[in-house]
Amino acid sequence: MSIMEYNGGSVIAMAGKDCVAIASDLRLGNQMLSISSNFQRVFPVTDRIYIGLPGLATDVTTLRERFRLRVNMYTIKEEREIEPEAFTHLVSSTLYEHRFGPYFISPVVAGISKTPTGGIKPFIAATDLIGCINFAKDFVVSGTASSKLFGVAEGLWEPDLGPEDLFETISQTLLNAVDRDAFSGWGAVVHVITKDQVITRKLKARMD
Amino acid sequence: MFLTRSEYDRGVNTFSPEGRLFQVEYAIEAIKLGSTTVGIKTPDGVILGVEKRVQSPLLEASSIEKIMEIDNHLGCAMSGLTADARTMIDHARVTAQNHAFTYDERIKVESVTQAVCDLALRFGESVHDEEAMMSRPFGVALLIAGIDEHGPQLFHTDPSGTFVRYEAKAIGSGSEAAQSELQDKWHKQMTLKEAQVLTLRVLKQVMEEKLDQHNVQLAQVTKDKGFEILDEARLQAVIEEM
Amino acid sequence: MADMVSIPHSQPQQHQFNPYTENGGTILAIAGADFSVIAGDTRQSEGYSIQTRYAPKVFRLTDKAVLAVNGFAADGNMFVKKVRQRLEWYRHAHAKDMPIRAIARLIQTMLYSRRFFPYYVYNILGGIEEDGTGAVYSFDPVGSYEREACRAAGAAQSLVQPFLDNQIYFKNQTPAPGTSFPGHLSLSTVLSLVIDSFTSATERHIEVGDGLEMYIVLAKNSPSIQSLRDIRGMSELTATEDGERVFVVRRDLKKD
Repeated sequence: MSIMEYNGGSVIAMAGKDCVAIASDLRLGNQMLSISSNFQRVFPVTDRIYIGLPGLATDVTTLRERFRLRVNMYTIKEEREIEPEAFTHLVSSTLYEHRFGPYFISPVVAGISKTPTGGIKPFIAATDLIGCINFAKDFVVSGTASSKLFGVAEGLWEPDLGPEDLFETISQTLLNAVDRDAFSGWGAVVHVITKDQVITRKLKARMD
Repeated sequence: MFLTRSEYDRGVNTFSPEGRLFQVEYAIEAIKLGSTTVGIKTPDGVILGVEKRVQSPLLEASSIEKIMEIDNHLGCAMSGLTADARTMIDHARVTAQNHAFTYDERIKVESVTQAVCDLALRFGESVHDEEAMMSRPFGVALLIAGIDEHGPQLFHTDPSGTFVRYEAKAIGSGSEAAQSELQDKWHKQMTLKEAQVLTLRVLKQVMEEKLDQHNVQLAQVTKDKGFEILDEARLQAVIEEM
Repeated sequence: MADMVSIPHSQPQQHQFNPYTENGGTILAIAGADFSVIAGDTRQSEGYSIQTRYAPKVFRLTDKAVLAVNGFAADGNMFVKKVRQRLEWYRHAHAKDMPIRAIARLIQTMLYSRRFFPYYVYNILGGIEEDGTGAVYSFDPVGSYEREACRAAGAAQSLVQPFLDNQIYFKNQTPAPGTSFPGHLSLSTVLSLVIDSFTSATERHIEVGDGLEMYIVLAKNSPSIQSLRDIRGMSELTATEDGERVFVVRRDLKKD
């Protein structure tokens, strides 16, 4: 049995034009038994950064607290908000610290980063459970439905989608992928992050 | 006559010098002793009719079974040694069910007829050192009626394993008279009702007893209802229409 | 010699022959109102090695039926050979081509007859039913089968099937107010979806790629023939005068 399948759950993030989206299902299970249909695994890190933590539920809670602590320490020491790139490396090094006894989480990061010229750039990344980073330009997926998410996203995603189109694309991708996954589903939540706001929507999904 | 044949009429798989298989020919003769059986094809379906020889007033006529179902879309009437027909019909039923199981479709009338005729020729087979499965040819002829994608069809089989398709056919003791009557009266656009009546008329002509609902049996195969043997009430209705 | 270690009490070793391998690749079929499209990639691999870039997995059985076979290639090829033999016997016994519904049932019985030493293959049968409708039948290795509108199987099944759920069955979509989903997809839409599915699968799955073969079966007098006019790389394979027509379209997929 894969440890990812112990509690189930999947996360996807997509980049659009001056916006990013991150979405997750809401299932918490105990192997084949569904426990909760309102399990949060996507968390805000700053106003412009969200992190999704699919994997072992106990590690979701632990890592969320660890990242909160480390981001707070960073903010105090540096006297500025952390950038998505720096946060992703923070995630990576935190996970790699446990190289031989890892947290069973493969995180997904989505955010808007600032360019040196004062512009903004959509940012998405994912790592494996020991912190190997994948900086993708289009989309990143993680969790028990990852292969399904890859297939649908590869078919639906296109460059430079606006916030509304990006919302539709990520929602359709997530919903159709988790409907084919026994370990994910039972509701979904989507966050679309633009430079001045975050739109959070819960999706009505199949509950079987 | 019998003197000249004596050398060759024992072995079922030995040709005579004139190229004949006497046992098969005798088997065909046996059919001519059987009760008359008639089959008529119409555009709407096929009718089968048999004469039941009720030799004794104590005999229960309903126990004489000369028309049998092979499958929902296939029926069969017999003449000759009817016990032999059991084996053949059993084979036909198994073949039809096997076809439905393997192909999820109804077997064609010709295919099931072919299967029966394949069996009819098995009397010649015997494996070395083993008891032969069949000792002699079947002494029965069949009229196989059915409907498939080619429409209603009527086939005649005999003990030699030959089968031929007919529009209308009579077999058994009264077959010669019956066949010529069919030739006179049969036409292409017969209704099912007309065919039922004609079947009974033909049987009536060749029967010694007076025809009634006990000493004949009618069956039909139609597209809608498949194979059905007409019960006494329906048979009575047809008799009254004669 | 000094550092050679002798093992005085070595255990007896048992070697087991594994009769199966997995040769990758993906197949896919979609049924329309009066047509059916059956497709497969042509890469054949064993582990991380590509054995060949052109090994067909889709086969024309009759002018009304095309079979796609995925899994263990040796079993697949032998299975197709056996199905073809049975079709030939049927033709001789019953003087007609076997209808697709009968082929589907035949495949079930053939697969189930090997219940305890199965053909390690997933089959998808596509073609035209006797009533002229497009049909797809999908099977598991031991013969469980079902008629459906679309099915993907093989290495990239998990990538392609949810995409098809969305684009063919319109799952998780609601039509705009006052409109409804099309009852049947057009041939050109279906062909685009098949090509998209395979380019997507090629992009994300290492066992998929090299070439794409799409078989198209059209019902008698199907107006869908219009969609095939400007399709690149198409050739006709029709063998009989029955009316159904079979075409194949070959395309390149990425080779990396």
